[in-house]
Amino acid sequence: MPAPSDDVLIERKKLKVGVETVSNQQSTDFPGHWPGESHEWDLNHFKNNMRIEFNHEHANKLDLTFSLIGIDTSLANALRRILISEVPTLAIEDVFIYQNTSIIQDEVLAHRLGLVPLRGNRDALRWLRWYQKDEEVPDHEPKSDENCVRLSLNIECRWKEGGLEKTKQGVTDPDELYENHNVYARDFSFEPWERQTEKFGDDGVRSSHPDILVAKMRPGQHIELLMHAFKGIGQDHAKFSPVATATYRLLPTIDILKPIVGADAKKFARCFPKGVIRLDKVTSEDASAHEECAGKEGDAKAVVDNPSLDTVSRECLRHPEFVDKVKLGRMRDHFIFRIESTGQWDSDELFLESIRLLKVKAARIKRGLRRIDALVQ
Amino acid sequence: MSGYAPQTSQTADASAIDIHSRAVAYTCGDCDSDVQLKRGEPIRCRNCGHRVLYKKRTNRMVQFEAR
Amino acid sequence: MAAKPIIQGQEFPVITPTSIKDIDEIPVSIDQERVHVLPGSTKTAASFQFDGEDHTLGNALRYIIMKNPDVEFCGYSIPHPSEAKMNIRIQSYDDADVFDILEKGLQDLMDMCDVVTEKFTIAREEFHSNKMQS
Repeated sequence: MPAPSDDVLIERKKLKVGVETVSNQQSTDFPGHWPGESHEWDLNHFKNNMRIEFNHEHANKLDLTFSLIGIDTSLANALRRILISEVPTLAIEDVFIYQNTSIIQDEVLAHRLGLVPLRGNRDALRWLRWYQKDEEVPDHEPKSDENCVRLSLNIECRWKEGGLEKTKQGVTDPDELYENHNVYARDFSFEPWERQTEKFGDDGVRSSHPDILVAKMRPGQHIELLMHAFKGIGQDHAKFSPVATATYRLLPTIDILKPIVGADAKKFARCFPKGVIRLDKVTSEDASAHEECAGKEGDAKAVVDNPSLDTVSRECLRHPEFVDKVKLGRMRDHFIFRIESTGQWDSDELFLESIRLLKVKAARIKRGLRRIDALVQ
Repeated sequence: MSGYAPQTSQTADASAIDIHSRAVAYTCGDCDSDVQLKRGEPIRCRNCGHRVLYKKRTNRMVQFEAR
Repeated sequence: MAAKPIIQGQEFPVITPTSIKDIDEIPVSIDQERVHVLPGSTKTAASFQFDGEDHTLGNALRYIIMKNPDVEFCGYSIPHPSEAKMNIRIQSYDDADVFDILEKGLQDLMDMCDVVTEKFTIAREEFHSNKMQS
């Protein structure tokens, strides 16, 4: 049996998007699916076909978009899931409240503190070990400089100089009247102990977003507390998730089957977000090749420019003039991956870490497998 | 509010004030000043005479899980 | 706070130890205790149970095992959402040993991870060097 042509292979990878339905959803690259074709796992084949293209990276290195091409959904999804729930990060876990006379309740305040993303020297964060909270666990390690980062918050709201007089004059703007009436994440102070002073350096551990508003206060109110931050994973609590989002979407495809020209072309372009469809001029070759273009040389003609910008709204399928002229779809093995880090790690580091963790998962099962397990022969 | 003149002899029997007991800190509900009261003392702000006082929160530590 | 899932009578968080401790620090016995062969299994048709695993490994492993031509059937399931357990069923053609198939699947998955790491690192370097030039 002849090997399928490239066009056929591409068609197979296209998930078809209809007006109300999607079809050809499932991967078929398995042995036994297509008669006469192997599809056996082949590392070299994978190496030759898999591609990664970087699309965009924000200057702060926290927001990264890249394309993973030639990979199955199961693997792309595994990496996405690991990014969200299994890459460890440091977050506040224990809060010791000595004084809180603000109107925000202790438990609510503690919860808010937990969700503040932290950052610090990367090597020092890597050096930190996991703290097993449950003291009944046999190999329980005590809190130490190696697994516990201490932070404190001590802030009191006061009247500004002349603030009282200003109120009498009818001034109500809290910024003019009070000091420390907004408690921000930047007010945390790092309390290094033992080796942490040297490891974390001058910057210490601080919030990656210093402008997070933690509480509001009025004169006379006071918050004094200590925080213990540990390493944890998103599976345990969302505060340990290193990403705000880690998502992917499949690359949209737009196939124009018959030329769309003139006013229709402009209408067609308006069915898509800006930049997806480009308007070219009908050439003399087009005019002779397609009856739709005959005598319309120089008119506008719709051409697909950048399908990755499409949202697959299916708007073009609603108009009768485009019926049978356009086919929408998505490439099943082209993932436009986007990672937005909360700030503890750069997005590229996170992705590499997620691959490493998937490998460790497989390795651990492999070493745990024992053939001597009771088999019914 | 008209000025408040603290009376030397309170309505209650002065001998009922236990001078050996520990003073407890309160905050006045009106003028926000600190009021130290001993057992048996009339519940009244020394500064403005307001009769609603708030007990201060202790400095005892309370532990919470940030969850 | 949600109750921690109980695995093998002793408490430990679902997958935490892997991601936070170095693999060499985790005793092999822990992994040996969390991999089971379910009753009724034969050399060519077996169900495995992995404690503390979920769809992350389940689906990826299912895909890679299905790529093996010796495999007649491979599927995974999570029998109950509140138990951190993942079952994977493998049935093989002819006389192929399911243990070999599972081991090969795990190895293939690990090789795949290496390729993705390598490609990602190269793509990142290219992207950054192009950025410097422009």
